[in-house]
Amino acid sequence: MFLNRLILGLSTGSFYSLAAMGIVLIFKVTGLMNFAYGNMAMFMAYVTYTFVSLGLGAWSALVLTLLVSMLFGYAVERFTLRPLRKLSHGSMLIVTFGILMILEGLATQIWGTQYKSLPELIAGRPLIFRGDFGIVVFRRQDLLLFAVLVTVSFLVFLLYRFTKVGIAMRAVSENEKAAQLMGIDPNKVISWCWMVGTAIGTMVAVLGAPRTYVSPTMMIYYQIQGFTAAVLGGFDSLLGALCGGLVLGVIENLIGGYISNELKTTLSLAIIVGILLVRPQGLFGSEEIRRV
Amino acid sequence: MLELKNVTVSYGPVVAVKNVSLKVEKSSITTILGANGSGKTSLLHAIVGLNKIVSGEILFEGERIDKFEAHEIVRRGLILCPDNRMVFQKMTVLENLQAGAYLRRDDLSKDFEFVFTLFPKLKERLKQKAGTLSGGERQMLAIARALMAKPKLLMLDEPSTGLAPNLVTEIMRAIKRINESGVTILLVEQSAYAALKISHYGYVLQTGRLVMEGPSERLIRDSSVVESYLGGR
Amino acid sequence: MALLEIDSLTVRFGGLVAVDNFSMRVEKGEIHSLIGPNGAGKTTVFNAITRVVKIHSGTIVLDGVELTHVAPHRVVSYGVARTFQNVVVFKYLTVLENFYVGYHHRIVGGLLKDLIPTKRRLIENYDMYREALKLADFLGLKSRLLSYAGSIPYFHQKLVEIGRALMAKPKLLLLDEPAAGLNEAETKQLVNIVRRIREEMGITVLLIEHDMRVVMDISDVVTVMDFGKKISEGKPEEVRKDPKVISAYLGEINSA
Repeated sequence: MFLNRLILGLSTGSFYSLAAMGIVLIFKVTGLMNFAYGNMAMFMAYVTYTFVSLGLGAWSALVLTLLVSMLFGYAVERFTLRPLRKLSHGSMLIVTFGILMILEGLATQIWGTQYKSLPELIAGRPLIFRGDFGIVVFRRQDLLLFAVLVTVSFLVFLLYRFTKVGIAMRAVSENEKAAQLMGIDPNKVISWCWMVGTAIGTMVAVLGAPRTYVSPTMMIYYQIQGFTAAVLGGFDSLLGALCGGLVLGVIENLIGGYISNELKTTLSLAIIVGILLVRPQGLFGSEEIRRV
Repeated sequence: MLELKNVTVSYGPVVAVKNVSLKVEKSSITTILGANGSGKTSLLHAIVGLNKIVSGEILFEGERIDKFEAHEIVRRGLILCPDNRMVFQKMTVLENLQAGAYLRRDDLSKDFEFVFTLFPKLKERLKQKAGTLSGGERQMLAIARALMAKPKLLMLDEPSTGLAPNLVTEIMRAIKRINESGVTILLVEQSAYAALKISHYGYVLQTGRLVMEGPSERLIRDSSVVESYLGGR
Repeated sequence: MALLEIDSLTVRFGGLVAVDNFSMRVEKGEIHSLIGPNGAGKTTVFNAITRVVKIHSGTIVLDGVELTHVAPHRVVSYGVARTFQNVVVFKYLTVLENFYVGYHHRIVGGLLKDLIPTKRRLIENYDMYREALKLADFLGLKSRLLSYAGSIPYFHQKLVEIGRALMAKPKLLLLDEPAAGLNEAETKQLVNIVRRIREEMGITVLLIEHDMRVVMDISDVVTVMDFGKKISEGKPEEVRKDPKVISAYLGEINSA
């Protein structure tokens, strides 16, 4: 069933897209690959779990967690990475690795090793359409996911295109020195990106939790695929991240359906390597040719 | 309005500017001349807080600013228009201008109007990415972007570099008009003659030191200016 | 006879013509300077000679051998060595090891041969060591030989870079802004060293330099570029008086 595979692919792809957008947002202004990205989101999923187990409804727990995640993203950047920013890029990478491991350990310490479950934010009978095209099944969760993806992308687009903060973000990501000459404080802009990026990651973790369960390793695959999607999209383009994720999800599911479920990750990565050989700048990357 | 006292700037082990003292009077055009590698850009970057100075003092309207971050200095109305490679190439002309007005909260329509009468070409290119502009248009954009910040003192870093002579003339005229509208100007140039013609007072920088200063009409006739560029005797 | 002959060289980056139909000759034994305002294309000419940028058209001939299609890492074995605008030394190698790197292309054979201590290899190593010692002496770096190149003063790092280039025993030495960032005493020493490179080693020197005192003091011939083209050439005192050169640097006196 091609159409159902496609829908499934788009739904997995939405997770990748969201993950990729957060990664790219942070990468664009700081030039930093945040290895802790997935685990920060994982930690936030545990926070949601705690809120829920304290008796909060799933939706209010999510909203509350998003606020917490912004604070969390701000704090991680402000207190662990900013002091190093002018010193060495390499040490910043290592610090994000460190945070990755600390969070994993911390989560086990606080919440134990047993997997936790989070309720679906939306539940109910799937929507079924019959027609000449056969039977198409839409799960309500997938509809929610698409809605979230569209909303987040649209909001990020508006933020990026039309607001002062957005102009500042783009200015800093293109030329930090010139941006400073306009009175833009790069530190502030970086904080913003970390806050928004972490919140997007958290969204992935909380929406994905019903599938993956809440566990210290729940985000590893999403982080890897989010990274791949970002690379596919060109790594410095938000639109690229969005499309890269969807393309990756679809490729993966079609291979899983028609060729072999075991090989889906391997083959999809091979295809991406192929795409990148033809278009090294990714689907939407800027085509600037770097001089030696 | 701006005063430098014994300012020294260095990049790591390399001293770029040594012991420079100078003054920019309110509502004047002051120029700093010098061939490449004489330390002009390093000096400007130090004034606006992109580099920290090693020693000396920088005063703007009587206040010491050499310890401030760049965005704090910009807030005080001291704006640097960098060389034209520093326009935001991936953003449109309009977005570049908006970025220039980042700190402003008041009405911008007058400023847009002024900028467009100064450089009508920019109005035609408003929705175009800055990366697609010609060298001359980029320079105009860089100046316009700096003007959007409503400078009290506008510093320009080699606005004539890489431009054909007729464009240089156009840019210099624009700078004069900006000055006449009430903005004090510090013009850093390699094209000595063009800069001396529109300025009131000039300094000559040679490998990081001030070697000459005086009213522009005097410097323009002084052959030692040429010698400071091309070596003397 | 000309050691280096550049004939109608053109280099483009996208739409930008960095070097435009540029020709020049550097005679054997000359100290020749290449000057011009920022962005004139001087470093690009160096990059074309060392083949690290793509040549769009034109030819470069060194001592009768065409370099135009030689691979970048092979250029040195044809007799061209260079230094860079921003000092490029291997910071975590000692001065001596930096010198050895410069000798690299003169050693015959690959890694395997390197591991087997044949007599020939031992002799080569000894030659290399002697040569490094000689150069260190020449440049006044003898006491620094075992220091890490990153830990010594800036001026000395510059000398290490020159020394490394000289280890290749070039016919032509390219120096990109050797005096940038040096104080007056150091500049004087540098000028002296460049002169001695020509006089004692017989190496032809082509340099890019902004410090005009150095250029005027040291050069036999000066070539001036602007907007990728040659605008003037001749003895320092001729070039200095050339109205074209003056207006390239200071602008047109009658404009505006």
